[in-house]
Amino acid sequence: MGARERSRLVPEAAAVAAAAALLALAVNALRPAGLPLVARTPYEVLVPCPEPGGLVVPLGPGDPALRAPRKFLIDARGKEAFRRFHLPGAVNVPYDWLDPLPASELRQLAREVAASRATRVVVYGDGGRPDSGEHLGREISGRGLRHVSFVRGGAPALEDGGAP
Amino acid sequence: MSPSDVAARMAVPARWYLGALFVWASAHKIASPHDFAVDVATYGILPLALVNPVAIVLPWVELVAGLMLLAGLRVRTAALLVAAMMATFLAALLLALGRGLDMSCGCFASRGAEHDPISWLTVVRDALWFALAVLVLAGDRGALALDRLIERRSARCAT
Repeated sequence: MGARERSRLVPEAAAVAAAAALLALAVNALRPAGLPLVARTPYEVLVPCPEPGGLVVPLGPGDPALRAPRKFLIDARGKEAFRRFHLPGAVNVPYDWLDPLPASELRQLAREVAASRATRVVVYGDGGRPDSGEHLGREISGRGLRHVSFVRGGAPALEDGGAP
Repeated sequence: MSPSDVAARMAVPARWYLGALFVWASAHKIASPHDFAVDVATYGILPLALVNPVAIVLPWVELVAGLMLLAGLRVRTAALLVAAMMATFLAALLLALGRGLDMSCGCFASRGAEHDPISWLTVVRDALWFALAVLVLAGDRGALALDRLIERRSARCAT
């Protein structure tokens, strides 16, 4: 490619793009389904938001880690279910399937975990599919809490005799 | 055979392939500008005011560049346009992947994220197409091209 051709390339490409743009605008103006030049309202874009999902270790309901002294228990079920049954010392953080845990609640939770000097955070939920405990565990782990586990089968499995 | 001879030989099928690809890619975008505008908006890169102009103009630039490559008309100019578009698409893809968006690339027919999700494979594919465009840009010598026919005609007229 000679220097003359090289210097000609960019203006020529710009001219071709401009001609194509004019053709596009003309066709768009003439066609019944043409787009307005500027969208008046934002497009409804349906893209699932990336979920903050961290690492969680699954535990069986009879796992010795549940009997370890330095653990912080979180019950991810609703208040009513928590009142009916919960592991001793568990705090109730109902998992919301639609909205993430508010940052202020997460900070409070992190403070409580730190104050308890726990080395492991254990979450249990309704044991369903999907399991609220596993999801809450992934959420808080993805947002900064470390050494998070969840109980497979959740509260029903713990109630069925697996509870420590 | 020198490397430039190899590049010149590969440039012909490469430009036909890229030409057909760009004509094909432009077809659904021209037929369904609204769907393509949604694809452009999904990337979340452009301000709303620029979504429609890009959705209207870009497919026609793709079509014109594709037809020029197929016909062999101003091949290097068309290859430069294709390379510039591929570089832009790559940057948009990398931004979308970096932001963790689970979406369709919108490169061809809009099939939704479930059937045509962006991934690192999409990036590799686009990088290969970018490399092909550069190959055509650097290696084309006008073989089997309308440009050569026009040159011969004008030379004959001049003598």
